[in-house]
Amino acid sequence: MAKQFLDPHDVPVIEGTEGWERMYPYYYQFSTDDKERNEYESGQLWYYDGLHYPEPHTPFDLIWDEAWYLALSQYNSRIFMVPPAKGIDHRIVNGHVYITPIGIADPKEIEARIPLFMKRAGYYYQNWDKIYDDWVEKTKELIAELEAVEFKNLPEMEDESVVFEHRGMGSGYDLCVQYDHLINMGFKVWQYHFEMLNLGYAAYVTFINTANQFFPDIPMATLTKMVSGIDVVMYRPDIELIKLAKMALELKLEGKLDAQTSFAALQQELGSSDAGKKWLAAFEAARYPWFWISTGTGWFHHDKSWNDDLDVPLANIKMHIESLQAGKDPSRPTEKLIAERDRIVDEYLDLFQNDDDKKAFAEALGIARKVFPYVENHLFYVEHWFHSVFWNKMRDLSRVLVDGGMIKDVEDIWYLNRADIKVLIDDMVRAWATGIVPAGRNKWPQEIEWRKGVMAKFREWTPPPALGVPPEVVTEPFSIVLWGVTTSVLKKWLTSLDTADGEISELHGSPGSSGVVQGKARVIRKVEDLALLQAGEILVAPTTSPSWAPAFTKIAGAVTDVGGPMCHAAIVCREYGLPTVVGTGNGTSVIKTGDMIKLDGDSGVVELLK
Amino acid sequence: MENLEERLTLWYNELKGDNFPLVGKKNANLGEMLKAGIPISPGFAITIHANDVFMRESGVKSELEKLIANECRESTPDNIAYLSKFAMAAIEKASMPPALEKHILEEYHRLCEHCGVEALPVAVRSSGAVSMPGQMETYLNIRGDRDLSDYIRKCWASSYCVEALTYRINRELGVLFNIGVGIPKMVNSRIAGVIFTINPLNGDPSKISIDASYGLGEAVVSGLVTPDTYLIDKITLDPVKIVRGSKEIECVYREGGSDIVEREVDEERRQINALSQKELRHLCIVSKKIEKYYGKAYDIEFGIDADLLFPENVIILQVRPESIWNKKKAEKKTAEPTDAMNMILKQLMTGVKFN
Repeated sequence: MAKQFLDPHDVPVIEGTEGWERMYPYYYQFSTDDKERNEYESGQLWYYDGLHYPEPHTPFDLIWDEAWYLALSQYNSRIFMVPPAKGIDHRIVNGHVYITPIGIADPKEIEARIPLFMKRAGYYYQNWDKIYDDWVEKTKELIAELEAVEFKNLPEMEDESVVFEHRGMGSGYDLCVQYDHLINMGFKVWQYHFEMLNLGYAAYVTFINTANQFFPDIPMATLTKMVSGIDVVMYRPDIELIKLAKMALELKLEGKLDAQTSFAALQQELGSSDAGKKWLAAFEAARYPWFWISTGTGWFHHDKSWNDDLDVPLANIKMHIESLQAGKDPSRPTEKLIAERDRIVDEYLDLFQNDDDKKAFAEALGIARKVFPYVENHLFYVEHWFHSVFWNKMRDLSRVLVDGGMIKDVEDIWYLNRADIKVLIDDMVRAWATGIVPAGRNKWPQEIEWRKGVMAKFREWTPPPALGVPPEVVTEPFSIVLWGVTTSVLKKWLTSLDTADGEISELHGSPGSSGVVQGKARVIRKVEDLALLQAGEILVAPTTSPSWAPAFTKIAGAVTDVGGPMCHAAIVCREYGLPTVVGTGNGTSVIKTGDMIKLDGDSGVVELLK
Repeated sequence: MENLEERLTLWYNELKGDNFPLVGKKNANLGEMLKAGIPISPGFAITIHANDVFMRESGVKSELEKLIANECRESTPDNIAYLSKFAMAAIEKASMPPALEKHILEEYHRLCEHCGVEALPVAVRSSGAVSMPGQMETYLNIRGDRDLSDYIRKCWASSYCVEALTYRINRELGVLFNIGVGIPKMVNSRIAGVIFTINPLNGDPSKISIDASYGLGEAVVSGLVTPDTYLIDKITLDPVKIVRGSKEIECVYREGGSDIVEREVDEERRQINALSQKELRHLCIVSKKIEKYYGKAYDIEFGIDADLLFPENVIILQVRPESIWNKKKAEKKTAEPTDAMNMILKQLMTGVKFN
């Protein structure tokens, strides 16, 4: 077995992409000239964050990675003073983000941080519910502030109000400020995002391990059932759709809904009747904020929300109508779920013969339940609602840049990083003020064309699951729970380095969701390709997100490259009862579409059948 | 309602534990197990009253009474031996009163029909209202009207064996003594195995562990094969770990005979799990009932009968308390302090290793 992965400095440059480094901030590069930094980098284990990033980053989209690089790290290292952990370091290789957890080696330093952590984190755990309520309020306020941002074309002549209200500022300056404000709000929402998340995960991990201590091999699905709250914000968009489906049936509009394929056409059709108007009003009311749910993870600019494409929720409403007509209730059986959760917890508590153990288990479960609403719901506020509005604001800005002659197409802006855009705006407003053509009007369109070519080559490259030297044990809780990187997983990844693709007949990952299934594989790397899925196939993807859920009614099982037992893919697949293996490392490169595979969601093994 | 005391036969599902004066303890317990939701092999009990009817109408009773009143008044070993020999011979030789025989055979035919097997093999088990451990006979694999009638009389006769007589005389239970007889279907296991209501490897009380292989239970119990091992979450009934065994051979009844033969299991059946999802689930539900009924971890033998339909085919053959973990004192696993904050700190300090 290989002892280590490829040294991060030795990853070959893809031909034709030379100079790609300038697309991203310099601090994301593996060092070439700083010896100390270079040695540090070679000695770490860097793993590919395919959980969040199943595809390479266009320069602008790296913004969220930059945001959590700062936010997650600081809460560990400088705010809550987590005793043995600093932050998570980030690098980029051929457009793909690699991360590594930084620990604290000095026992004295760890010891000194303990009282600080107990005081600071203790405050959060003790006041959790109140802090969470405040968190929701301030995040909503921030989103309102984001919605208020406006990008306008620079005028030929400033409005006279600039004079008569003696504003003392012009539109060029406004544009610069609005852009900075937009970016700052993006970073701010990610400060909020991690305000409670590190502590939330620490509570989860504590519960998982406490439970395992008493009940070895307790299935992750059982733990999720014990913790899961019922009132989860992420289900709310679908609940709204079910309500609209029921209303359509009550108003006898189902025939009209069925006859129209687009929402625009339906709107026209329904606008002529009272019943139709009533339904449209309810639809409109449901849109804000619930239709800000993304059809992707929200991490990429191409992840559009329902509000961006109303045909998507319309199609889902039609599906719900069909279910209702067939006599099936598409609603989550809330009361049944609560009863089942309580039964499971009660029966587990009954198994204890020792009161101290019982108390420890109940405490760990209690704290995991307390953090649950935040851990689940922050996703909707940040990744879905905020991000969806944010991408649209960026498109508004991009229109101004297109109209100003700086770039060719609204969708070109993603090929510029946030710093590029800042200087580009600076260039544009100065040229506007001066009354000349901007300096970069030829440079940027050419650069963007070249970057598009580089991105295409990045997409064809399969990033290795890890780079550098594996540690003796992986102890960082985030790495394990979210990314599924454990010592044993690393060993399996290393073993697969020694085997040519054609010779591999078995892949090992973590059990994601129970059950055994056999079927044809369909390798899907991009959300857009989901349409290719045929009923009964096994989805093989770098990772999946809750918004891939509509596809889950079609498939027989799922295999992912990355992800641990608590990752979204595993949780969603459990909801759908689909056998799933997560964290195979290289499933998408070893398995080809059309291969017959057999996956065992209980043991975490995927067999390639000949 | 019909008076149970006048019945000649009672089906297991008509019985409960306190009916033992009518049918004997073994039969009544089987009825009680059924009531507790523990599925046993289907069958019926021939009542103690039926034994009395036989003894009276065949004339054996009055013959014995005469003997006891005269030649065998004193309970010397010789007298007991003589009495035993006389009684057993008389009972085996006597013919069954036609009405009684007709009734028992009708019930037997109902059982055959229920199982869809002609001349269904059954067991004939003695069942006394007083425990007389191991002193009376049980006959296995009895088929057809003739044999059944003969072996019932043999079984009745066995309550007059020397040991049983001595036991009764010593305890002043009376010489004349009627017993119940149980007629359960012989379990024709297609799949059989052993269940523990804990994980026997580490004592984890939240798991059910099932070993199962093809054919009669002997193959698993005596270690002739590597069975499938299923570890199931006791609370949610979700499978936790399934290790498929090689299951090369199975034990079955010899065609037309009562002994057991081994035969090879074909490749295809070796490669799949012996138990289906619904069988697994049902076994777990039954195991939980047994554990709850007896109040501790149990070791259970089961068979899945080839002659019956699901879920009736899932049959519990034997239950006994689990012997290792029940004896161990539950040791505390937690270190102080056990408040959430300190547990989280400890967790962060030690890190995590998932299996």
